[in-house]
Amino acid sequence: MSRTFTSILTLLFTLLFLALAGPARAEPIRVVTSIETLADLARAVGGGNVSVEALARGYQDPHFVEAKPNLLVPLSKADLLIYVGLDLEIGWLPPLVQGSRNPRIQAGAKGNLDASTAIDVLDVPAGKVDRSQGDIHPRGNPHYWLPPVNALKVAKEIAARLKELDPSHGADYDANLQRFGGLLKSKSADWSRKAASLRGLKVVPYHKSWTYVSDWLGLREMGYVELKPGIQPDPKHLAELILRMKAESVRVLMIESFYNRGIAGQAADAAGAKLLVLPSDVGATAKIRSYTDLVDALLDALLAGAK
Amino acid sequence: MVSFFPSAVLAGLLAQASPAGTATVPSDSNDLSKQFDSILTAPTPPSQSRKTQGPSGSGLMNPDVSVIFDGVAGAANRPRASSAGDDPDFGGPPAKRTGGFAVQEVEVGLQSTVDPYFAANVFLTIPNLQGIEVEEAYAVTTALPAGLQVKAGVFRSAAGRQNEQHLHMQDFTLRPLLNQAYLGADGLRPPGAQVSWLLPLPLFLRLTGEVLSVSPGVSPTFGGGLRSSPTFLGNIKTFASLGESWSLFFGGTVAAGHAPPAGIAEGSTLDSNGPRTWLAGGDFYLKYMPPNRVANYFALSLQSEYFWRHTLAAGTTAAMTDAGFYAQIVAQLARRWHLGARFDQLGIPASSIQAKGDRISGMAMFTPSEFSRLRLQVQREKVDAGSAIYEALLLLEFSIGAHGAHPF
Repeated sequence: MSRTFTSILTLLFTLLFLALAGPARAEPIRVVTSIETLADLARAVGGGNVSVEALARGYQDPHFVEAKPNLLVPLSKADLLIYVGLDLEIGWLPPLVQGSRNPRIQAGAKGNLDASTAIDVLDVPAGKVDRSQGDIHPRGNPHYWLPPVNALKVAKEIAARLKELDPSHGADYDANLQRFGGLLKSKSADWSRKAASLRGLKVVPYHKSWTYVSDWLGLREMGYVELKPGIQPDPKHLAELILRMKAESVRVLMIESFYNRGIAGQAADAAGAKLLVLPSDVGATAKIRSYTDLVDALLDALLAGAK
Repeated sequence: MVSFFPSAVLAGLLAQASPAGTATVPSDSNDLSKQFDSILTAPTPPSQSRKTQGPSGSGLMNPDVSVIFDGVAGAANRPRASSAGDDPDFGGPPAKRTGGFAVQEVEVGLQSTVDPYFAANVFLTIPNLQGIEVEEAYAVTTALPAGLQVKAGVFRSAAGRQNEQHLHMQDFTLRPLLNQAYLGADGLRPPGAQVSWLLPLPLFLRLTGEVLSVSPGVSPTFGGGLRSSPTFLGNIKTFASLGESWSLFFGGTVAAGHAPPAGIAEGSTLDSNGPRTWLAGGDFYLKYMPPNRVANYFALSLQSEYFWRHTLAAGTTAAMTDAGFYAQIVAQLARRWHLGARFDQLGIPASSIQAKGDRISGMAMFTPSEFSRLRLQVQREKVDAGSAIYEALLLLEFSIGAHGAHPF
């Protein structure tokens, strides 16, 4: 009995020693991101000096990730946490950050990066905000990472933060950012050509999460399947929406790949429109492995739907 | 590594060289390319000084304030044999029909960071409109190294699973019977201090130790010690992710303290330690939820807890051992619909303070949004040789304000 107790104590002290000794070794900067697109951007600018892990998968709804305790493991070791912000992850990330016991990534610390600080926020509600409007994001629309201009702004913000955390590799982060900018520039002719042929396309999104994409591509959002964000639409609203879609000859109903397609599919059928299932994050499908893959897949899907 | 520069240059040349017939294309392309350039060349202000997107909640320095309301309409052929402090209380004489409306609980939550070292949570509750209680009020460290965290104040102890959770986190309208039978009418939430350690391992393993000052009369198990003889509690929790859809969260608890004299009133003073008493328990929570939960809204969870108690003989008290458990299953069948069933069993074996008894409950829950729910619960309870007590409860719960998200 006492021998067992002694060996348990020895084990605990060994583990405690390892915990305290751990951070002394020279290791890559450990970056944890909420969504996979941010992980790809962090890999692009971090290069070989960082290790990157995303908490949510690209085929998950980023509003509703389960705060599983195993997610605390990477967070407890992270040097930098990058998240979308604007309350997108409010339902699951705060208890994980607190539960991680990691002072480096708490709010206000250098290792806590709210990526939305890098971009110009759209859909900031004016006037009184309350939940009769549904699951509204009171500080603006958090679905901003798809347009390339925003992705580059976020990448630049990540590079700046990595330089602060790891000044000895500052030149690497600068060079990686320039290389990522070059990659985007190499795609800009193709993307712009595709964007031009989508301009003015009438669409109805399922959730109000395409504002930034519509702003970039010049899509005309004619209504939403969700009358109020996050609230299941009622039949009266759907009937009105279908009539409006017919009257305006809207041919495209957009929905993220992770949503339930039941109601959206019925609405699209009734209105004679196509239900376009679109990727919104790296990892949405197995083929989308990087940010540029994501934009390519999105534009191709929209073009196919616009025909 | 692919070299990007030649292709970038090529794309740039192509864009420049495009014929005038597709005039909009090259100009757009230049625009996007130029926008990239202007972002890349713009000076970067130090990131710590960047604009923030404005405060969330009600203000800059105010804590997040929330109110959670649980109101119940119910009917029963007799009052319940035992109730938790936050169960709806319809009152009435024994062996007579009872029911009506009850405000089961109003909870006011105030949550904030204190400074760079502490966060604080204060939850005030008014159960059954019977005066204000401090359900929890504690500070928790945020900046300790090595995966350590210290909590101090009055807090829900890490004694199993349901005890740590507030009423609105429960899947059923009444807490399981073992709550009041082993921990106390209000669960185990005395003043104390807690140290927990997240082990630096590739899996989640958390060890928790607590020192608690249980007052006489608030718990059937502890609170029989002098103020200099606290109750000690240890808990281990671990989590296994079985693929992306299955989660298994389980834990074990051991606590030691002094048993109170039978029938002691709350707030009494003791002049000697009662007999030493031990509590041991295990809890398990198995959940199936596909990572892409909104695709078809099907989820399933199984939860069970077990407590075993042993009190040593002392003076006039004989040694005794008893145990109890509950097991429940909850299924999400549609976006807004959950169904569940729970079985409670106490007194296996029974003891001088805990009779044999069981309860079977079923519930159907409708959640219009994440902030409101309606739940119909029916149950049948039987204690010893007594006749069955049937009860039906319709709950309305709502949550307003900024209430922090809950752990798994």
